[in-house]
Amino acid sequence: MTMNGYELTWGVPVILYLFLAGVGAGALTASASMFLRGGPTGRYFNIARYGAFLAAPLVIIGTGMLVFELGSFQAGHWFKFLNLFKVINLSPMSIGTWLLVWFILISIPYAYTFLPKNAAPGDTFDVMRRLLAWISVPLGIAVAVYTGVLLGAMPSRPFWNSPILAMLFLLSALSTGVAVLLLINTIMNRNNPDPGSKMDAEHANYLLAESDTLLIGLEILVIFLFLMYAHLSVGSQREAIKVIEWGGELSLMFWFWVVFIGLLIPVTVELFHTIPKIVSHKEVVLHPVMIYVIPVLVLFGGYMLRHVIVVGGQITGPLGL
Amino acid sequence: MSVNTKESAKSRRKFLKNIGGIAALTAGATALPKAAISKITKKKVQYGMLIDTRRCIGCHACSVACKSEFDVPLGVYRSWVEYTEKGTFPHVDRSFLPRLCNHCSEPPCVRVCPTNATWRRDEDGLVVIDPDICIGCKYCIHACPYGARFLNPVTGAADKCDFCMHRITQGLEPSCVNTCIGRARIFGDINDPNSEISHRLAENPTTVLRKEMGTKPNVYYIAAEHADEHDQKYRNEYISVKTHRKEKQRI
Amino acid sequence: MMINRRDLLKLGAVATGALFTQGNVLAAPPVSELSSGKDFSPKTGLQRISKPSACWQCVTRCPNIGYIEDGRLVKVEGQPRSIRTMGLICAKGQAGVNQVNDPDRILYPMKRVGKRGEGKWKKISWDDALTEVADRLKTLRDEGHPEKFMFHYGRMKASSSKIVKQFLAAYGTKTIGNHTSICEGGKWTAQELTWGKHYDNWDIDRSRFILNFGSNVIEAHTNHVPLAQRVVNAMVNRDVQLVTFDVRLANTVAKSTNWIPIKPGTDGAVALAMCHYIMNEDLYGEAGRDFLKFCKVTKNPDATIDEKIYALKQHLAQYTPEWAEQVSGVPAHKIRSVAREFATHKPAALISYRGAVAHANGNDTERAIQMLAAITGDIDRPGARCRGVGAKWKYPHGAEHVPKAKKLDILDGFKGEVAYPTHHISQQVLDVIRDGSQGRPDVYMWYCYQPVYSNPQVQQNIEVLKDEEVLPYTVCVSPFYDESAALADLILPDTTYLERWDWEDMVGPNQVPEFYIRQPLVKPMGEVRDFKDVCCELAERMGFPLGYSSAEEFVQLSCEMTPGIKEAGGFRYMVENGVWVDPESKPNYYSYKKEIAPEKLTGEGVIYDEETGVYWNWHESKAKSEVEARTKGYTHTKNAYKGYIGQSINGTVYAGFEPDKLNKSGYFEFYSSLLEEKGYPPLPTYTPIPEHEKMSPGQLILSTYKVNVQSHSRTQNCKWLTEIYHENPAWLNPEDAVALGIRDKDKIRVKSELGEIETFAHVTPAVVPGVIAVSNHCGHWEYGRVASGKTTPDSKDDTALEYKWWDFNGVHPNWIIPDRQDPINGQQAWMDTVVTVSRV
Ligand SMILES: Nc1nc2c(c(=O)[nH]1)N[C@H]1C(S)=C(S)[C@@H](COP(=O)(O)OP(=O)(O)OC[C@H]3O[C@@H](n4cnc5c(=O)[nH]c(N)nc54)[C@H](O)[C@@H]3O)O[C@H]1N2
Ligand SMILES: Nc1nc2c(c(=O)[nH]1)N[C@H]1C(S)=C(S)[C@@H](COP(=O)(O)OP(=O)(O)OC[C@H]3O[C@@H](n4cnc5c(=O)[nH]c(N)nc54)[C@H](O)[C@@H]3O)O[C@H]1N2
Ligand code: SF4
Ligand code: SF4
Ligand code: SF4
Ligand code: SF4
Ligand code: SF4
Ligand SMILES: [Mo]
Repeated sequence: MTMNGYELTWGVPVILYLFLAGVGAGALTASASMFLRGGPTGRYFNIARYGAFLAAPLVIIGTGMLVFELGSFQAGHWFKFLNLFKVINLSPMSIGTWLLVWFILISIPYAYTFLPKNAAPGDTFDVMRRLLAWISVPLGIAVAVYTGVLLGAMPSRPFWNSPILAMLFLLSALSTGVAVLLLINTIMNRNNPDPGSKMDAEHANYLLAESDTLLIGLEILVIFLFLMYAHLSVGSQREAIKVIEWGGELSLMFWFWVVFIGLLIPVTVELFHTIPKIVSHKEVVLHPVMIYVIPVLVLFGGYMLRHVIVVGGQITGPLGL
Repeated sequence: MSVNTKESAKSRRKFLKNIGGIAALTAGATALPKAAISKITKKKVQYGMLIDTRRCIGCHACSVACKSEFDVPLGVYRSWVEYTEKGTFPHVDRSFLPRLCNHCSEPPCVRVCPTNATWRRDEDGLVVIDPDICIGCKYCIHACPYGARFLNPVTGAADKCDFCMHRITQGLEPSCVNTCIGRARIFGDINDPNSEISHRLAENPTTVLRKEMGTKPNVYYIAAEHADEHDQKYRNEYISVKTHRKEKQRI
Repeated sequence: MMINRRDLLKLGAVATGALFTQGNVLAAPPVSELSSGKDFSPKTGLQRISKPSACWQCVTRCPNIGYIEDGRLVKVEGQPRSIRTMGLICAKGQAGVNQVNDPDRILYPMKRVGKRGEGKWKKISWDDALTEVADRLKTLRDEGHPEKFMFHYGRMKASSSKIVKQFLAAYGTKTIGNHTSICEGGKWTAQELTWGKHYDNWDIDRSRFILNFGSNVIEAHTNHVPLAQRVVNAMVNRDVQLVTFDVRLANTVAKSTNWIPIKPGTDGAVALAMCHYIMNEDLYGEAGRDFLKFCKVTKNPDATIDEKIYALKQHLAQYTPEWAEQVSGVPAHKIRSVAREFATHKPAALISYRGAVAHANGNDTERAIQMLAAITGDIDRPGARCRGVGAKWKYPHGAEHVPKAKKLDILDGFKGEVAYPTHHISQQVLDVIRDGSQGRPDVYMWYCYQPVYSNPQVQQNIEVLKDEEVLPYTVCVSPFYDESAALADLILPDTTYLERWDWEDMVGPNQVPEFYIRQPLVKPMGEVRDFKDVCCELAERMGFPLGYSSAEEFVQLSCEMTPGIKEAGGFRYMVENGVWVDPESKPNYYSYKKEIAPEKLTGEGVIYDEETGVYWNWHESKAKSEVEARTKGYTHTKNAYKGYIGQSINGTVYAGFEPDKLNKSGYFEFYSSLLEEKGYPPLPTYTPIPEHEKMSPGQLILSTYKVNVQSHSRTQNCKWLTEIYHENPAWLNPEDAVALGIRDKDKIRVKSELGEIETFAHVTPAVVPGVIAVSNHCGHWEYGRVASGKTTPDSKDDTALEYKWWDFNGVHPNWIIPDRQDPINGQQAWMDTVVTVSRV
């Protein structure tokens, strides 16, 4: 596939991979930290459970996408990707591969601890769950960060070649991870007859929305930094960032879908939801539709961000020769 | 290819390693006087190419020679030529820039490879790819600041110029060199002060591409046109860089 | 394919052994020691089988070496033994691999089953095909009309030409057309009118200055690889300047020291102005003065040198640099400075090609250019414009009995329109046939030629070829299904050039002949047969065997007959080595200065012609008696030139400039009485192109050109070439683009008196304002998937084509180029078409 005369060697599967791995990593981190935060009573146990169930499959599907994009796989060498596991070296992809392995190795038993129907705080898995949760938090962050490092590690790709990219991917991973939990939690509790647990769920939702607001806020800040540093630099980076600046090939996609739809709208609505409580301890009940729409927008924005970044990096290059 | 991946991966790598370099040392060790052996261990071969663009006529004999030598599929290129046109009528100029892998001494493509399928051969400086190990993740393709790598759709592995390893180890010139109509391409060992390429490097001012990337390329140019289309904005001059590749832009 | 990895490992060791024996294991082998002529498989490491042969992707016909792996031709390289090419071949030459392996080529004789041009075919056997052809031909011959068999060829040289022409001669037809007038025939006629035999070689290796009028030698030229590399060598190794006049920045211009943009068709004016300046400033020097001795400048063959100089100055007085500036757009000071450089850097090669001659005034342009070279003595001396030297093979003479051949008068255009069509007027053949008043062939067969596509006015060509009333039976001989083949009644599948035998003789770039052969690199595919073998069989079938039964035998016999080769080992030697050069041969110069031995002047039939000073043998001409020969005189006796012996100059008889095709004297004729007789100025003169005089504002001149990686209409099936060059957008200067409201890549309409094409604009300062330049390589609508995206009646699956990534194949300009010729020589005026351009 070519675009504007550039070859897009990494296409939709890689975009999906970066997105799904991000959501999965975010979900695991969110799940584990909610779980840990919920304390021994397990206030957010259910949320943690949803996250635990989601994380592994999302990352596995994402990784599957990555395998699907491999040249070897497309040429019919189905299992050649196993060569990845024959070595370990300092390539971000090698490190990432092993991180993913660990992620899967940890997130599956972690999910397993939530599997029994009667799984509850203090059950037989409790210690293990707690232990795995402690590991999961940094692991999820590592996987999320690594997706950014993967792209950012190459001076040949000035659009990607920025340490801020890893931060951006981390924040986006967390916010999308949180969003997916928000979405699931809302869906699961839509007909919850038990007022107690329903309240917990609503509280959790509130907490999630609050963290999401924060994460999105930070993400906006990081995007601003990403843009500003590139814009203020000279040469390749300055030139590369033009694809998302006004008039650039990806500018509409970036400003409308990523920033406006994926960040500004959700953050505004969430602020509307959270600020009154913080400021005047007033409960603002969100319109039920909003509770569905917001996380979807965040997720969509997260996907579009990966799209813009992956494509943008490939249709720009260093200046001069 | 229907060979067992594991088995072949091993042997191909051995082949890549053995061809030329290492085997040369062993062969030499039995036959050479001691002094020569110590010399061997001291100065390794570093293959390189010098392209004298004053002599290049943009004829693509190199492009096609390379396609033919390896039956490189349509749409991907080990070797290509860029045409840079600039100026205002009637002061217009066109120059030609033949391109290929630079066989960098500090190859970023190698650093990112998760499988060690690509490496720089210590014995002669060739940056090679073992298609039997390569999984086609395309990371190296992005990491190369020269657009020298591509995914070979037939093998599913990363691919690029290998300085015609199978020829040079037989004492032949690379395929693109041997047919160059302008005799613009000189290939040889730049560590050997007596090689033709060393003489020419010493006699002429040369440049490498994207020096600032720190890759330490081993493909040198005489009188290369480094102008890029992007420069137009800064120079207020018509500059057009054209290539015959499917991807029309430099990386 | 399975790889034998054990072999790979072993080979690694063997390889190092080889390195080791070369001396220094450490060092890369010095480039001078790196041998060619070998190749190894990158997959298996095994050596590929190699065989010497010769290229034919263009007329240069470079010797080459083919490499075969698993029975398949995989690679073609240059022949290191060749002193012409020094072991190099160009991109097109290497892509010969694609010709052989073209999955769309025709492998069986095909007979049309639907209506002509409908595209319905059936495979037939060779026996049926040849029975059909032989029956038709035999009937014509028996009826006493062998001339109704018209044979029309494009590229047919060396042994191919000999064999096919021996066949046609034995059959009895002289209705044999060629393609030279759409090529550079006008240049040859201009040379025949001036210095006699045609084909000028440029002795670049010894030049100190190169002045170029419209030759794209770095990309094209009929002796491309030999000359292009020598131009580069001269420029980089010896600081030789190359100054080029061109209407666009061809790659030759890109490599030139200096580009002098020029208005189309005005090179003659500039050349004359340079002559003017050089004569007026007395820059012609000793060499020029001496050379004038051999030039005819006035009617009087005995004029003194001073008289000649005076006459020249008189004639040139009108052609001032200021005048030429008005005509050509080249500043007068530039004309002066280049003329001075040219006259003072000696020796200089004055080169010219189709850019100068493919115009309606090309004849005099080429003559003016020859005059410019002559007045500085840069003719036939080291480093100058010389007479081409090719290999002179001896070969079998053909059939026992050769009847007196007959000819339809359809080869030279409409009667009386062109003065000296010495190379025929191929672009008008179909038009003349349609007209019918000069006769029509019953069988029209073409070979290595594209009557539809390569000529101007494509639409009309299609109509004539399609018309069964006008052309009752047509046969195409080609390996490929091109636009003309699509309109044939019968297709005889020829071999590609890498599957057949030939001896070759293309001119040496350094005045030394080189003998070489072409041999099959692989077994011909399918049922294809070399047309030369087919000729042998047809001759046999019709009862006049040629004396050899195949091209291979012909080549073999020639090797055994040709002195030098015979001693070197004959056929076997050539099969193994491909090339032979006489180690004794010396560069050939100054042949005109050779004095003719007195006994040659007194031989039987030799007479002296007072009017011209020519000694000639009337027996060789068509004169019936000596009396007739003497009364008609040399100039007016048909074919008198064939008896030419020498030119008397101040009492000495010199070999002079031997005439060919025309009864020119042995002088280098600035002054041409032949032209004078036909009502044209006898001395080189500038005549503007009529259409260009009548242009309305905003109109442009369409120029067509060739590019380095394509040959004519013939190489677009080569995937490695067409991948590089598959579009031919129209070059347009920004000045014109702005005026016409056209931006880069816009779709545009180009309209001539004949019709219009739609193409895309390439806005670039690399073309002269007022010119729109379109290459003639693109826009196929047949010729297979790589060339046009369309399959042929014999297409086979090819997985490699899955990766073809372009869909648009450009636009052919010949749809809108009218047939228009130089009235003196019949050369097609390719570069003159006036067009209106607009945005779509
Ligand atoms: N690559 C390649 N090589 C070839 C061939 C091929 O098809 N492709 N064909 C072979 C054959 S058969 C031939 S005849 C030769 C032809 O060889 P050339 O004659 O060298 O090639 P052309 O492209 O026909 O024309 C030469 C140049 O004339 C320029 N020109 C056009 N009009 C004018 C004008 O009015 N004045 C001046 N000064 N220049 C003008 C064109 O821009 C072009 O660059 O090449 C042979 N070699
Ligand atoms: N507008 C424009 N038109 C031009 C020119 C130009 O400058 N401008 N240049 C002109 C010139 S210089 C020339 S020489 C002519 C050339 O024109 P042509 O003489 O027609 O030559 P090609 O186009 O090379 O080849 C004609 C056909 O020969 C067939 N062929 C290829 N290989 C073989 C073979 O091995 N055997 C046989 N039997 N057939 C084969 C193919 O089908 C091919 O299409 O074109 C002229 N046409
Ligand atoms: S494509 Fe192959 S060689 Fe390149 S980084 Fe991936 S595994 Fe390594
Ligand atoms: S040119 Fe590119 S592919 Fe070649 S060694 Fe350097 S970085 Fe690697
Ligand atoms: S050295 Fe060999 S592989 Fe590299 S560009 Fe030249 S021909 Fe191609
Ligand atoms: S073969 Fe030589 S002259 Fe031709 S384009 Fe390649 S480097 Fe330049
Ligand atoms: S110049 Fe012509 S004959 Fe020579 S290699 Fe190129 S295409 Fe073949
Ligand atoms: Mo031609």
